[in-house]
Amino acid sequence: MYEAQRALASPVRNPRMATVIGRLLGAAFLICFGTGLYSHFLQEPLDWMRFATRPEFLYQVTQGTHIVAGIACFPLLLAKLYIVFPALFAFPPVRGLVHFLERASIALFVGASLVQITIGLLNTYQWYPWPFPFRQVHFALGWVLIGLLVIHIGVKLPVITRYWSKDSPGSDHLEDAVSNNRASNAEAVRLWGSTRPGGVTGRVLDYIDATPRSRTRVSRRGFLVTIGVATTAVVGLTAGQTFTPLNAVNLFGPRKKGVGQQGVPVNRTSEQAKVADAAMAAGWTLTVAVAGTERSFTRSELLALPQTEVQLPIACVEGWSQMAYWRGVRLSDLADLMSADPDTSFRLISLEERGSFSKTEMGREYVRDPLTLVALELNGETLDLEHGYPARMIAPGRPGVLQTKWLSRIEAI
Amino acid sequence: MTTITTGLNPPPAGIAPSTSRRMRSIRLALVGVGVLLLAWGAFVLFDSVRLTRIPGVALWIVAAIVLHDAILAPIVFAFGIALRRVGRRVTGTVIAIVQGAIVVGSIVSLIAVPTMVAKNFAPANATVLPLNYGLNLAIFWLVLALTTVGLSVWAFLRWQSPVTTFPDDSGR
Repeated sequence: MYEAQRALASPVRNPRMATVIGRLLGAAFLICFGTGLYSHFLQEPLDWMRFATRPEFLYQVTQGTHIVAGIACFPLLLAKLYIVFPALFAFPPVRGLVHFLERASIALFVGASLVQITIGLLNTYQWYPWPFPFRQVHFALGWVLIGLLVIHIGVKLPVITRYWSKDSPGSDHLEDAVSNNRASNAEAVRLWGSTRPGGVTGRVLDYIDATPRSRTRVSRRGFLVTIGVATTAVVGLTAGQTFTPLNAVNLFGPRKKGVGQQGVPVNRTSEQAKVADAAMAAGWTLTVAVAGTERSFTRSELLALPQTEVQLPIACVEGWSQMAYWRGVRLSDLADLMSADPDTSFRLISLEERGSFSKTEMGREYVRDPLTLVALELNGETLDLEHGYPARMIAPGRPGVLQTKWLSRIEAI
Repeated sequence: MTTITTGLNPPPAGIAPSTSRRMRSIRLALVGVGVLLLAWGAFVLFDSVRLTRIPGVALWIVAAIVLHDAILAPIVFAFGIALRRVGRRVTGTVIAIVQGAIVVGSIVSLIAVPTMVAKNFAPANATVLPLNYGLNLAIFWLVLALTTVGLSVWAFLRWQSPVTTFPDDSGR
């Protein structure tokens, strides 16, 4: 164990580095948790919750940031694990109950973090090679990880404060960290006669010892620059699916702006939703039900109502988003037509019979927003079937799964 | 039993008793709040995921630890050793540049390769994974390799030239 720690010693592996990278990783975790909670409650609001409808790109930014911060966690987490790797070989392995709990919490923290960012990444392209449901586990692990993060900060607080800034008391003595290790080598020789086991292990360790050590300053700077470049690369080369200025260098994003029917990517298809026949049927109507009164509108009746054009992004939980022009009937106009109370929330029902978002609810703040439309046209054309023909919902600042496609019925709650 | 101190667990510094008492209560509070959040997360997990699926979650968490600690980390370690030996005659800066480039390329590949694999499994629709990720990754590695060669030559000329010496890089 001791030999392993010594062999792994490196100028990069010190508590100041662990603090520097740990801060960034901790910030990324908090950003992911906050934006994740926001997205969760948009989809499953508690009764008293009301949400901001402006800026209209709010969800595009929060969820895009969720994915970007999650991707940034890959280099940051690997860097953090690289720095603290020798701690795996702490000796003695367990010094008592508290120490055992601390190590167990770190093991869970490492494992759960790796799983969380991996399933999150794969979910962005709807690939689910694991034996459990994504949404529920990702949400639960979010709480678990934030709990473990707070515990970890509590446990390591003395180290964190000691190495917080360049001028902190510990940072002056960083050189000691590596040389300490070498010094305690001498101590080990004194205690046990030899530090060196014989046989193959000994020869492997000799080989490692004979390897030139890298220079302290070069390897520390090199490490930080490397992690900085890696983080910039993975973020910069994928975030174009959300943030337009990076569209040109979107090499690895799972979506591409402008790729899709009418220039808009698609999430759930009409085939998956099994709605093609019902949506293309000549007898389709949109039924609006308010306080016992029901009225059905054909598509041409909807087109005969005052039309409004809005520019709104469609922004998906998977992180991609696409700005588009939508034209259709204001939902608030429809509500007024039906003499709905201004405080009414609505339930939106799709032609889709199964699927977790076939029936969703829309709070009054969205119902009464002038940008919320029953959309009939997209980017100057009749709405494509894949985008929800004959009519779909589009509202500012909501996740794509709530922008109900293939509308069938809207009812006051 | 002797405890060997490593850089990662430094001995406590001489902190004034009042600071240390405050530190102690802050730490206890943080650990307490963390345990509550952790317990809530566990409750949410057991409440929303069927019991038969929980072992799958545990298996993935354990597999992630094994994959990192027993496979990835040793490979990285061996790579570092090999590179330092191969480059023993080259200045540390060049090694750092090459090492950095390999790490950057590997991390970007880690993000990119799964998209190539997933694309083979017929994505949900044509707008999911629409790019040629293999080609893009090849282009990325090419640009990375050219940049690395350029930077290495520059560093070699700058730091290995017998005429100039740079004191700021001379010692540890």
